[in-house]
Amino acid sequence: MHSSRFIFYVREDPFIFSRIATGTPLDYKQTHMARVALFIPCFVDQLVPQVGLDMVHVLRRVGCELDFPQEQTCCGQPAFNTGYWEDARPVAERFVQIFRQAEVVVCPSGSCTTMVRNFYPELLSGTPLQAEAIALGQRVYEFSEYLVKVARVTDVGASFAHRVAVHDSCHGLRELRLKEESRELLRRVRSLELVEMPYSEDCCGFGGTFATKFSAISAAMGDAKAGYAETAGAEYVTATDPSCLLHLDGILRHRNSSVQTIHLASILAQTGTAAERRAPAAPARRQQ
Amino acid sequence: MSRAAQEFLRSAAEKSADLTHRQLIRKGIDSYNAANERGRARFFDWEAARLKCQQIKWEAVNNLDRYLLEFEQRVKERGGHVFWAENSEEACNYIVNLAVARGVQKVVKSKSMVSEEIHLGAALEKLGIKVVETDLGEHIVQLREETPYHIVTPAMHLNRTQIAALFKEKLGDVDTDDPQQLVAAARRALRRDFFSAEMGISGANFLVADAGMIALTTNEGNARLCTSVPRIHVVLTGIEKVIPHLQDLATLWPVLATAGTGQPITCYSTLAGGPRQPGEPDGPEEFHVVLVDNGRSELLANAAEREVLQCIRCGACINACPVFRTVGGHTYGTTYMGPIGSVLTPHLRGLPEFNHLSYASSLCGACTDVCPVKIDLHHHLLHNRRDAVAESDRPHSERMAFRVWRWANLSAGRFAFFGWAARLGMRMLHGLHLDGTLFDPGRAWNKNHAGLPVPSKSFRAMWGKRNGHN
Amino acid sequence: MATTDSPLENPGRARILERIRTALRESSPRPAGPEGRKIFAPVADPLDRFQKECAANITECVITPDMQASARAVTDLLAALPPGEIFVQDAPLLRGLARDWQASRAIQWSSEGGPMESVQATITLAEALVALTGSVLVSASCGGRGASVIAPVHFVIASAEQIVPDLESVFVKIRERNIAFQNSYMSLITGSSRTADIEKILVMGAHGPIRLIVVVALKTE
Repeated sequence: MHSSRFIFYVREDPFIFSRIATGTPLDYKQTHMARVALFIPCFVDQLVPQVGLDMVHVLRRVGCELDFPQEQTCCGQPAFNTGYWEDARPVAERFVQIFRQAEVVVCPSGSCTTMVRNFYPELLSGTPLQAEAIALGQRVYEFSEYLVKVARVTDVGASFAHRVAVHDSCHGLRELRLKEESRELLRRVRSLELVEMPYSEDCCGFGGTFATKFSAISAAMGDAKAGYAETAGAEYVTATDPSCLLHLDGILRHRNSSVQTIHLASILAQTGTAAERRAPAAPARRQQ
Repeated sequence: MSRAAQEFLRSAAEKSADLTHRQLIRKGIDSYNAANERGRARFFDWEAARLKCQQIKWEAVNNLDRYLLEFEQRVKERGGHVFWAENSEEACNYIVNLAVARGVQKVVKSKSMVSEEIHLGAALEKLGIKVVETDLGEHIVQLREETPYHIVTPAMHLNRTQIAALFKEKLGDVDTDDPQQLVAAARRALRRDFFSAEMGISGANFLVADAGMIALTTNEGNARLCTSVPRIHVVLTGIEKVIPHLQDLATLWPVLATAGTGQPITCYSTLAGGPRQPGEPDGPEEFHVVLVDNGRSELLANAAEREVLQCIRCGACINACPVFRTVGGHTYGTTYMGPIGSVLTPHLRGLPEFNHLSYASSLCGACTDVCPVKIDLHHHLLHNRRDAVAESDRPHSERMAFRVWRWANLSAGRFAFFGWAARLGMRMLHGLHLDGTLFDPGRAWNKNHAGLPVPSKSFRAMWGKRNGHN
Repeated sequence: MATTDSPLENPGRARILERIRTALRESSPRPAGPEGRKIFAPVADPLDRFQKECAANITECVITPDMQASARAVTDLLAALPPGEIFVQDAPLLRGLARDWQASRAIQWSSEGGPMESVQATITLAEALVALTGSVLVSASCGGRGASVIAPVHFVIASAEQIVPDLESVFVKIRERNIAFQNSYMSLITGSSRTADIEKILVMGAHGPIRLIVVVALKTE
């Protein structure tokens, strides 16, 4: 079991943080259709719960049994990213304890997955939970990563007759080294036309508290991305990170764009059959 | 908020709204990206090159005293002088005193970011010594009385029309905006200066310990003229620029050129060590190397952040940065801009005043991906943030907010309650048409975004219902 | 100006060194490095590669059968330049070849000093040629520092046997022949001077030579 390797590693190497965060690929062990514990990011739970529901729908469809540890709140990223590590630490420790029994954890967000896998080792360095956190990080997966690399599934029986462009969310791209996974999944969606938007790897400008502290820069970055999506002629922009999509969605609607945003899970949840057709494809619009 | 932070926000807002500026930068960066991609493809294994450069610079920085002493010894054997300056003032004084003692009236300068850091130009001009920037981009910003916009391409924010107008006004013999003609005009003007200056000041890309020579990576030929014609050559450099062996340049030169401009190697990769040797037809009579500390040894002492000193000043991180692309180089208000500037400046000039630079990033990580010496730049930004909080350089309201955040997130019940309350608040705000107004705590967001979705039920509530829990 | 090494003149030196030594008492982990991975593909045919790279970096590369032919090639190229003195490195080989050039041009020799600002061209030898990048290594022994940068045209008289495959090998050559310590100056020149400081548009001929012409003799006799 690879966790013992990491326990040794940790005691000898105070710089484990930088080694893990270089994007060394995980040793993906093929699992049977595992019992999956759902890691629903705090803002997904409260602001865009449909993303979570859609992910649940898809995971069930491919044969997973699901658990939702009700005690979960947040992974700690907002405080960690803003430098409040003393505040993030207890929240992270709590997270590790809540998920310690889980065989496999799946999360519809690259940034939250990154927090656990790439940053918990440093945040919890010198604490009794560090070894467990490292081991946990090896079995927490972003949703598209789980489907393609662990469950080895690319066709989830989805159907979505629209032109879709992928925005490569930064954490997924650079911290988890994910790029092709969403595209592989989208290529198997019936009637979906996949287009590449220019500068798909450019940051959308959300960046957590960056969006409010440096709102002018954040908005300009989002504005540039919105323009690129429009140039690509996309009807929808999708991503693995709901935070990017919330940001882009707000900007697109602010500029009265015809481009809409939709999370990858929400696309994959669409099957086009009457029995499983769900209400709005796009994130819940504000009640008018 | 520090004055620097206020000014940053003001300038950032102005530049973010300037579409013309953003388009110009985009064009310049696109041009760089195309060249850089071609450049990396010339390597059999670019990643191997990065690993090698990282290793070379790690060796140098982590044995800094040894290699600096070896460098000093060899420079002295060549008849050169080495002065160790603890700070800007000492460095300026040494050079100014030398210039005055030697009767220098004009200095020709090739590019040196350290000279910007220590404000050398002003110190010399205060004594009536004329300083001429000879790097074309530097010369342009000098004529405009601006600071460099970018460490490698100092004038990338200007188009040819602006440069032509500037040359017409300041140089006189220009009547076109054709880049070829503009460069020819600069050549004519600067040539007179090269041949009349008594002192040439250069920076150094590398200090080669085993050879006692400085290495200069250039394209224009101006650094070669600055270091060949005037009778005194002064090198101004940070202490961290040393490398162990001449052989290291076999990898560093092509990597620096590729990362900096996309070239396989720059036009002139030059090594200068000491004044002219007996029997040489020409060259300076005096050679002085000014090693500047100015906070670098303190950064060295911070072992977790030490690798930041491995930077070879290629500018690749600046080009990759979406924040730089949006606000440009002047907004940072510091000598070093972009990711390296945001990481380094708080260390060299203080976290209290400059931590905002480390916060002015979405942490996208593009910088780390492109750094040719594999500095983990965006993670160092995170560390700076952590240190700013630990040193209490952050606003009180922010600290309180995260205390509340922590308390709320340590219980599922509290979390659910706060989430519900926040949604209720958002619905009320929207119902009363107060979004984006002073009453709206989320106005920074709502100013630029259409309203956030406000679901009536959270995921956990719906899961609970579906799965029979309540 | 008194020497700057005494503690009185440079008190900062000891303090900086002390700070560095104290700082380095705490170590940081050494990175793994490339571990034997190849950085550049080996150069199969150096002469061919040299020519290709010269074309790419806009160095004019002229291949001749021998040195006499090189001398004549230079004479022809000189004829097209504006009238005026040329500067030539004072080496026995070039003294010999200069008989061709003296007919049409006044020559300033490097033994008399550095090149005058007004020379139309300089002619020097080289320490080595590098195939990987199409570069010419010159040192102060090749006519001095100004010889390769002051004039608008710089001719390099070289031979095919001076071509080394890549940068690693040129530094080996520098070490073997002790070039670094016999000279106060070296420059690896790749193409003629240029700048992209105006709108990132490449313009040739900034402050250094506008033309770099490398004449490579296949045999040196």
